[in-house]
Amino acid sequence: MLPPLIRSVRKAHQAEVTTLKNQLLKSHGRPPWYGENGRPIGEAFVVGIAGGSASGKTHVARQIVQNLGSIPTVIILSQDSFYKKHTPEELELAFQNLYDFDHPDSVDVPLFAACLADLKAWQQSNIPIYSFTEHQRLDETKYLYGASIIITEGILALHDQKLRDLYDLKIFVQCDSDIMLARRIKRDVAERGRSVEGVLDQYLRFVKPSFDNFVSPSAKYADIIVPGSNNNVAIELISTHIRRELTNRAREFRCKITNAIKPNPSTPDPSHIAVEQLPNLHIIPQTPQLKGIYTTLRDKTSERQEFIFNVDRLATYLIEKALEFVPAGHETVTTPVGVEYNGRSIDTEICGVTILRSGGPLEKGMRRVLRDPAVGSLLIQSDVKSGEAILLHSMLPTSIRERCRAEVTWVFLLDAQIVTSASGIMAVRVLLDHGVQEDHIIFVTILAAPRGVHVLNRLFPKIKIVSGSADPNLTPIWIPGDGDDEAREVLCIEPGMGHIGDRYYL
Amino acid sequence: MSHSQMVASQTSPAALPPSVFTLPPTAQLEALYTIIRDKETSRGDFLFYSDRIIRLLVEEGLNHLPVVSKVVETPTGATYEGVGFEGKICGVSILRAGEAMEVGLREVCRSVRIGKILIQRDEETAQPKLFYSKFPPDIASRYVLLLDPMLATGGSAMKAVEVLMEHGVPEERIIFINLISAPEGLKAFCNRFPRLRVITGWIDKGLNEKAYIIPGLGDFGERRYCV
Repeated sequence: MLPPLIRSVRKAHQAEVTTLKNQLLKSHGRPPWYGENGRPIGEAFVVGIAGGSASGKTHVARQIVQNLGSIPTVIILSQDSFYKKHTPEELELAFQNLYDFDHPDSVDVPLFAACLADLKAWQQSNIPIYSFTEHQRLDETKYLYGASIIITEGILALHDQKLRDLYDLKIFVQCDSDIMLARRIKRDVAERGRSVEGVLDQYLRFVKPSFDNFVSPSAKYADIIVPGSNNNVAIELISTHIRRELTNRAREFRCKITNAIKPNPSTPDPSHIAVEQLPNLHIIPQTPQLKGIYTTLRDKTSERQEFIFNVDRLATYLIEKALEFVPAGHETVTTPVGVEYNGRSIDTEICGVTILRSGGPLEKGMRRVLRDPAVGSLLIQSDVKSGEAILLHSMLPTSIRERCRAEVTWVFLLDAQIVTSASGIMAVRVLLDHGVQEDHIIFVTILAAPRGVHVLNRLFPKIKIVSGSADPNLTPIWIPGDGDDEAREVLCIEPGMGHIGDRYYL
Repeated sequence: MSHSQMVASQTSPAALPPSVFTLPPTAQLEALYTIIRDKETSRGDFLFYSDRIIRLLVEEGLNHLPVVSKVVETPTGATYEGVGFEGKICGVSILRAGEAMEVGLREVCRSVRIGKILIQRDEETAQPKLFYSKFPPDIASRYVLLLDPMLATGGSAMKAVEVLMEHGVPEERIIFINLISAPEGLKAFCNRFPRLRVITGWIDKGLNEKAYIIPGLGDFGERRYCV
């Protein structure tokens, strides 16, 4: 018997999978997908499901997701999204129901394979959106990122070699032709407002020939043939297989991580790293005012308003300092006095990404210094049991979502403290997955523990870290259990300033 | 910031008075000045980017105030040897352009008191004349951050300092904060008040025949409030 909370979560999850395609489905956060060197380990698990029209492919995909239970992140990718962009002539045929949507030529396979390859390699993808009412690919795209399982479904999912090469598991749904036709008539009449005659006409002209010529023969590539109805046993077997594959991968992954954490006698104890040994840590000049601000922030008797005011003030100053690392161009302007002036220009795209919740206090400074900046966020928490970072939510600026823009944008990564840097590493990994250049990332923080910075430095040597202060000590403290949370040990910066997020928000 | 490090686009008079301090001339700072100098810049951008410079100037100005050592206990129970601010401060803006610097000042100094002073040219004598002033009653016991964005000939700034000193504020407790200055005005001002510290964001080439700063940025108050 599951405790009530978990059960309600599972219910919600089940409701979700019956409705969504081309969406990231998640039942809990995403654990690290990268190794001790900060680079991704392995690839996402890709399942291809083919079968005739109305054979029950989507049903099989959804049943698999449901059967997997607590799998972190899944995307069901539909072949329908990848219909080609039509010429005016094709469009006319489409509206007369004379365009062959069942022929392999109707699908943009190179794009389909490219999107799938990106997702498999843990990268983002912006998949096309196809409108059935307009019979056309729309200009906007759908951004997808971060699934550990990708299920691709479509009548021709197994037809093309390029796609087949990407699958870890190939499924063909075998269904009786009569049943498929009956289902199709029912669905198209009820859901798509078509006439029975029209459906039959299309079936005989396109659907049936395509099935016989392309779809049915592709069954030979399948690892498993699943019946189109009463297929619980088959789905159970498939789910068990996927689960085992994922468990094996996770085990391999854990081994690598554990080996990395084991103390290495040849390297110095990271707890005694001096700030001078960290080339990428830029501590801003310690002016009298800055020392005064830090004294106020560290003082546990400081009032809330005083604390908030000084965090905002400090954040503004830190962002100003961080901006000094962004290159400026040259520009000549004319002043109102009519004189030419040879100056500099800031024409680089800069956006912010906040690590929630504690990065939030730095946002105000970001907005004071940059004009209407896009500021995305990543909610990263540490897993109570393993202490591992878990990505719970990501909302990134459009300049990062699109790979070509991500490659030129600069990102200010905001977090109040760098302690172990576990969440920082995850955040940087997300940015790198999207194509952001490592030397375009500037990590802005109020307080840095040299040990955490050392780890970040070692993994990502080109990232700059701008901080107002570095505190020498990391002290383990015991947090007693509270309701659903179990008691656990966390590392805490000393002397520090307590929990910055709590002091700023609560 | 030592004066020898100034970039080429900034005028560096051979004998810049020791009481003058400038901001580190980074490419970012120069880009900010480029935006506010450009006559095509919109009022919104002018406001936003001049505020950025003003905050940096105020931060720099405050560093000239004395601090005392202070030991505090952090929420983790550790002790921290820091510093506390000593002495009360207030801002005094020279109307009307100086008012534009108040937002930036209050973003750095929480709820700071602000006095006002209106000085205009007396058309009969062609000399700057005090028209209005309103200060906190205890101004004589405070450090004063005097705010005026443009220092051209220095006439009104010198008049303002005179008024402050008449109210009992010692010269060395006044810090003049200014965005752009002309070398002529700067020199005259510092010769007159050698113990008063001047924080200026940029030292321009000089003045034209109409006493406008060159290259300058036009009329600061006009661009900030009216255009």
